[in-house]
Amino acid sequence: MRRSFSLLLFILAACAADEAPLVATDIVIKAPMPGMRISAGYLTLHNNSDAAITITKISSPQFGAIEMHETRIEDNVSRMVALAEVTIAAGSAVSLEPGGKHLMLMRPADDLDVVTLDFHAGEDVILTLATKVER
Amino acid sequence: MNSRRLIILVVATVAVAAGTLTSRWYASPPPAPRAATVLPTPMELPEFSLLDQDGRAVSSDVFNGQWNLVFFGFTHCPDICPMTLQVLANAKRQLGEAGQDPLPRIVLVSVDPERDTPESLRQYIDYFGDGNLGITGELAQIRKLTNALGIFFEKIPRDDGDYTVSHSAVVLLVNPRGQFQALFGAPHDADTYVHDLPIILARP
Repeated sequence: MRRSFSLLLFILAACAADEAPLVATDIVIKAPMPGMRISAGYLTLHNNSDAAITITKISSPQFGAIEMHETRIEDNVSRMVALAEVTIAAGSAVSLEPGGKHLMLMRPADDLDVVTLDFHAGEDVILTLATKVER
Repeated sequence: MNSRRLIILVVATVAVAAGTLTSRWYASPPPAPRAATVLPTPMELPEFSLLDQDGRAVSSDVFNGQWNLVFFGFTHCPDICPMTLQVLANAKRQLGEAGQDPLPRIVLVSVDPERDTPESLRQYIDYFGDGNLGITGELAQIRKLTNALGIFFEKIPRDDGDYTVSHSAVVLLVNPRGQFQALFGAPHDADTYVHDLPIILARP
């Protein structure tokens, strides 16, 4: 069921790819660990337009707050750095993946199942995606 | 035996001996770890007084009796900590499937004892499989352990009044005598552990 849902999203994303300036693939929204009120999200953002796109905010009805973070490992020390924005250059992609840039998802709703994320570029919502959380 | 036969015998004997010596000389060296730094002399751990995930008092002898893969992290860490523990769990599963015996235990020592109660630690480590050990307790006692091992951690305040913790991302291998024996640097991947652990664990 989850696979078919993901496939549907993928098809929808693929269909929309022609006109959408920003497309997300490899979406993984993790359910919080047992007893936790915090989680992580990963995805790849593809900029199909001929201008850079800067994500300035991400919001979701299912989370109290979402921040863009980057885990930086320097000299074997892991530090979490908050990113005010993430820019995807024209015609390129940025991957948010474990151990690198990622979404920090805070204060989740109870009984998380399908989550919706709005990606803001300044005043505009440039991408909305829905996916099931991964447990 | 005539002299001709004797010469052949001597030549043959010398050839066999030379071959044996040469093959020993050129024999491949014992396999070496690919990524782990193995201490020439394992290091004793300091005494400490902390709690396990069930709230039981533990000291340095909690490591005795099995090999331990020790990571220093915290439960409010959504990215690197679950990622690292998942790598260790995957490596342990693969090693188990390959017949490795003994298998190391996965240990999470909290660098955020303020929030990591034994109960929250138990839920967290159980997520990565059975038999894992969680250690938390008083900050000063955790510092005794981390200072001795060169493990760094630092509380970093956030704008919203919350905080995060920067911390060493290494994994330490503690041997069944409770001594720090080897170190794996970050980033971690399961293949490294699957390759290196059987080599290190096979050494006397």
